[in-house]
Amino acid sequence: MEVLKEKVEEEEAAEREAEAEQAARRAAEKEREDSILSQEELLDLEQKLSEIEVHIPEIPVAFTKSTIDTSTLPESYRTNTPKEELLIQVADNFSRQYAHLCPDREPLFLHPLNECNIPKFVSTTVRPTLMPYPELYNWDSCAEFVSDFLTMVPLPSAIQLPEYLFSPTSVLKYQKGNCFDFSVLLCAMLIGAGYDAYCVSGYASQEMCLMDLTREMCPLLKKPKKVVEEKEKVIPKKYAIKPARDLRSKFELAQQAKKENELKAAEEKKQKEEKEKILEANKPPPDPMHGLRIHAWVLILSGKREVPESFFIDPFTARSYKTQDEHFLGIESIWNHKNYWVNMQDCWNGCKDLTFDLGDPLRWEFLLFGTEKPYLSLMEEEEEEDLAEDDDIENLDKEDENKNFDMPCSWVEPIYISPKDFETRSPQGKKVIQYKQAKLEKWTPYLNSNGLVCRLTIYEDVDCLKPVEVREWYKNREDTLEMRQMDKISNWTTEYFKPGHFLALRVHTYKTMIPETERTMEFYHQARVDGLVKRTETPRSMTEYYEGRADFLTYRHIDYGPRSKKFSLSTAETNPRPMLKITERFNRNPEKMADDDVAERIFVVSDERIQLRYHCRDDYITVSTREFLKRNEVDNKGNKIIMTPEMCISYEVEPREHTKKLLFQYEMMMDLKNEERLSKHQVWESEMEERQAQEEHMRQVEADLDYLAPFLVQLPPGEKLTRWQALRLKDECLNDFKQRLIDKANLIQSRFEKETQELQKKQQWYQENQVTMTIEDEDAYLTYCSQAMFRIRILEQRLNRHKELAPHKYLALEEKLYRDPRLIEYLKVFV
Amino acid sequence: MIRLYDTIEPNVIDEELLKLAVEEQGPQEAAGQVAKQEGINFKDVKSLQLDFQNILRIDNLWQFVSLRKLQLDNNIIEKIDGLESLVNLVWLDLSFNNIETIEGLDTLVNLEDLSLFSNRIAKMDAMDSLVKLQVFSIGNNMIDNLLNVIYLRRFTYLRSLNLAGNPICDDEEYKLFVTAYLPDLVYLDFRLIDAHTRELGDAKYQYSIYELKHRENQIQAKLEEEQATIAELEKHKAAYVEYLNGPFLFDSLYSEDVEAAKLAYLPGVPELLETYKTKFVEICQNIFDYGLVQQEKRKAEVAIFYECLEEALQENRKQGLKEVEDFDKIYTAYLNTIRNSNDIQFVDTKMSECAEEISRLFDRLMTLEMQLVEQLEETINNFERNIIDMVGVFVENVQGLMAQCRDLENHHHEKLLEISINTLEKIVKSEFDEDLPDDVRALFSDKDTVVNAVGASHDIHLLKIDNREDDLITNVTSWCTATVDKVHNDELDRNRKRVKEINQYVDHLQTDLDNMDFGDLLD
Repeated sequence: MEVLKEKVEEEEAAEREAEAEQAARRAAEKEREDSILSQEELLDLEQKLSEIEVHIPEIPVAFTKSTIDTSTLPESYRTNTPKEELLIQVADNFSRQYAHLCPDREPLFLHPLNECNIPKFVSTTVRPTLMPYPELYNWDSCAEFVSDFLTMVPLPSAIQLPEYLFSPTSVLKYQKGNCFDFSVLLCAMLIGAGYDAYCVSGYASQEMCLMDLTREMCPLLKKPKKVVEEKEKVIPKKYAIKPARDLRSKFELAQQAKKENELKAAEEKKQKEEKEKILEANKPPPDPMHGLRIHAWVLILSGKREVPESFFIDPFTARSYKTQDEHFLGIESIWNHKNYWVNMQDCWNGCKDLTFDLGDPLRWEFLLFGTEKPYLSLMEEEEEEDLAEDDDIENLDKEDENKNFDMPCSWVEPIYISPKDFETRSPQGKKVIQYKQAKLEKWTPYLNSNGLVCRLTIYEDVDCLKPVEVREWYKNREDTLEMRQMDKISNWTTEYFKPGHFLALRVHTYKTMIPETERTMEFYHQARVDGLVKRTETPRSMTEYYEGRADFLTYRHIDYGPRSKKFSLSTAETNPRPMLKITERFNRNPEKMADDDVAERIFVVSDERIQLRYHCRDDYITVSTREFLKRNEVDNKGNKIIMTPEMCISYEVEPREHTKKLLFQYEMMMDLKNEERLSKHQVWESEMEERQAQEEHMRQVEADLDYLAPFLVQLPPGEKLTRWQALRLKDECLNDFKQRLIDKANLIQSRFEKETQELQKKQQWYQENQVTMTIEDEDAYLTYCSQAMFRIRILEQRLNRHKELAPHKYLALEEKLYRDPRLIEYLKVFV
Repeated sequence: MIRLYDTIEPNVIDEELLKLAVEEQGPQEAAGQVAKQEGINFKDVKSLQLDFQNILRIDNLWQFVSLRKLQLDNNIIEKIDGLESLVNLVWLDLSFNNIETIEGLDTLVNLEDLSLFSNRIAKMDAMDSLVKLQVFSIGNNMIDNLLNVIYLRRFTYLRSLNLAGNPICDDEEYKLFVTAYLPDLVYLDFRLIDAHTRELGDAKYQYSIYELKHRENQIQAKLEEEQATIAELEKHKAAYVEYLNGPFLFDSLYSEDVEAAKLAYLPGVPELLETYKTKFVEICQNIFDYGLVQQEKRKAEVAIFYECLEEALQENRKQGLKEVEDFDKIYTAYLNTIRNSNDIQFVDTKMSECAEEISRLFDRLMTLEMQLVEQLEETINNFERNIIDMVGVFVENVQGLMAQCRDLENHHHEKLLEISINTLEKIVKSEFDEDLPDDVRALFSDKDTVVNAVGASHDIHLLKIDNREDDLITNVTSWCTATVDKVHNDELDRNRKRVKEINQYVDHLQTDLDNMDFGDLLD
């Protein structure tokens, strides 16, 4: 190899290299001295090498050069500068020698043709650019952008290097590319952002090459690993009481435990077997071309931008992998904008054993010498310096010939992404990824009028036919809805809201939006005046949980009875469900004594009973209770009874004197009656709020009415549309809309005319009777005139505006119809 | 407003007057009927109004212990007294009376609103205990010294003050002075103090207030320092080694010893004393250090015992609560079935089942309690043994150290005796040529006197050491017995309380069930 290098460098006679680099180089050479060949042998070899021709078969590419308009491309795309020519010669030479030395290795990816059929060295295709968007400063968001922005086109041949490598600018323009296009673009952006990034040409697994994620779990479904906390062993304290003696037979216990363990073990075994079975069934069929499939990806080396460890990025999926990942089966070469390295390490074990010390020439053969050599470890350098001194004289004459050849500037125009493209991301703003038993659809924000940005459909089966669950993510919605989760089996819908909903709603779980059905609502209680945390409803009850209230209320439960039947037309508002029982629970109020602090309060409305349960004292096990009966207001003789001892039954943990007093009990009962009224009112308010929430929801739903529904109804249900039907449907819809627009215009027109005529009549009448008029009549006439004029003017404005807007509306609907998912397949041809 | 005695017959606060007032001012309407039916206890009354009654002397109010608001305005009271028992009083109105001095308010620590408007008070005083005072009205009085306002600085919550109508209000600086010296005040003479007045006042009196503040701070600092010393001493006392960290004990040996002072004039004695003192103080210090260490140990021991005790009690309580809760569910279910059933036979069986359930609950709760008592007894005995051992070791060691002190004393005594006898011999032989005071020289008249003097000194010293030792040992043993007794007593109380509670609860359940029976029969 050493000889090869000398040869290469002889040709680069124009350049001289610095003294220091010389020394370092000589040190490096010292190691490989034993492989030096004689000059004659070398010449011979060169001739032989030059005779070898690398044949690249022509294969049609899906994203071909013919689709690219090359006429507008700048000069640098269409020609090569002398320096580039020279570089290509150098590369050719390198390639020849490489092929000679490693005859069993595949040819290198050195200078593919660009869109103008000009060979360009791969390193010059990488033009580092720092994007003006702060979102693209980190590698993960950057990779995600590239994977979203471009549509993947498979390589023309799965096992052969592509003939073409287009410039990143063209790739960006047409939003399509193969793995090399992806990698070069991503690499350019990452280097621009300061990463030590490289494009890698190598081999990968089938799934990786074809961007096939159907065997992968959707990343959104991956659950964070639970951290199992180990319980600390409690050391028994010195004076801990001894536990009560266990009087059960130890032998029997042991036998039982044994039995249970056996059962458990059997079950575990069964589960394990089942798991293995499933795993077996899910294994992919063996790939006949395993290890031969060509792929390109990005390598980020540690060191810059605080990257602690080197890793790969797959540009298709924007995922990062460890360099030991089993999906990557081998590396041929890597390059960045400065140099090109060939991997000299054996890849029999994939990339697991590779080291990425690019300064080590035994492992990584570089193409250009001396352009900012990557690091060697410090130890080696020192050794080499020592050796270099001995070597100085021998290499003296070579010194002049060894010179630095700089990588020419990139021929690619700066990468530019317009803000609009950046916002839209994917082509047409939509992207679909198929995962294992799941489908992920992404949209650009604001593309959908309801704010939908992402939908994940989870299927029961591998073929993705039976949906189990649908999750939708929203952005920028008025009601701050963030995510909706629909369980297709149990029909439960769960909605998650961000802070800012007008009722401070956080989570809403329901089956239908009809009031008084089963639902659970959770709230941002800090944002609510009443501190409501959660409300659960069933047709016959409502439960509310509170937190942080000044009255220490934490729980309220209402049982409803069946609605009384009324003959009059009654809505839910005029005929509320009768409340049977209200249960309220309170937290401990530290300012009160436990015996005065109510823990639970039950108003049995139907029975006219009030039950109180107090908090428990610190060192007691029973709690005080009190029960008030409000039944007999009138005694046998017809006198009004205010208070009798029978009306209040109480149990007190520690009997106190003042609570026995009738007056005390009476006052308490009066207070409780008031409280009951208040509680009822609060319940009513809760119900009202519920209704309000539902109305709001209905309003949101109504906003996206289906304009095709009335026309779809006419067709037989369940059948697939034919193209003819689809076309007719579209036309019908458009015609209908046109008619509506015309009708509206006519309506305004007719009103306008009517108004004008009336005014004219009135004016005539006025002129005729002007002389005999009283002042009042004249005033009335004048006010009428001014009002009529105002109406006419408004009508005129409306008419003009309608005329102006109607064509736009019509076009908008047409476009919408073309984009409608139900019609799109049939109408596509005509776009 | 000032009335003369001879024009109006003074009234006396008597039972009748109070009853009338309470009834008039008590609950009205339906509640009033109920109240009348069972009568109102004076001690439950929260507020009382006794105005325009020509009362001369406050009296007979001791029953109203829960009184919060008392109005005694427009009477002819001359002296504030008889309010001692009204500790819950928040509002006291004594306006329009003939009071001359502020007094008798010391127990009213909860007072927030005090009105002494239109009296004959010349000086604000004797209100130190009214720390919660917020509103103070003392207008139309005879306060003539502006400096008296400074007295009000101690009321940190005072926000509203009325001084209008006093002689000091004629002073043109009155307003500025008050605002400057009472910076937390918001209302003066029922008017909001504006920022401008406040600024003016601050500017005018800034230096004198600064001085005042400085003085106040100094007093405060001194107080804190004293408290710190007392706290430190308390800590030492708790360890029973107070005044052992220094020459206090040694000094006390010689404080009452007249002979020793005389003997100190002999040659060689001061040096002897010096070495004796160093050694003695060293041993004292040892005792002191050891005492503190032991104290920490004892504290830790007690703490861990109480912690474990608390844990055990909580665990037991949890079980008890659960039992009661479980039972409650069953019980409610029973009651509901009984209530909703019409069949007397069925009701009877259910009743008996329920009664059985109650007795079962009783058994379970009692078992729990008995179990706990047994467990605790063992633990407590264990603790008692340990703590007694600990104290024993402490006492033993202290005794050992004290014995060292005594040895030192004996040694010193021998030396002193030797010197004294030598000196005596010298004096007898007239070889002694140093000057001695006359009373010292008088000692050396004969051998007996000298020996007696030295012996007396020695006896005093030994007595002192013995006393100190006895003190320490008695204190620590009494602490030990007290601690152990407390633990035993607490446990006993707890047990009784719990048993009483269980019985009471079960009785209540039983009566409840029986009542239910009656109710059903009546229906």
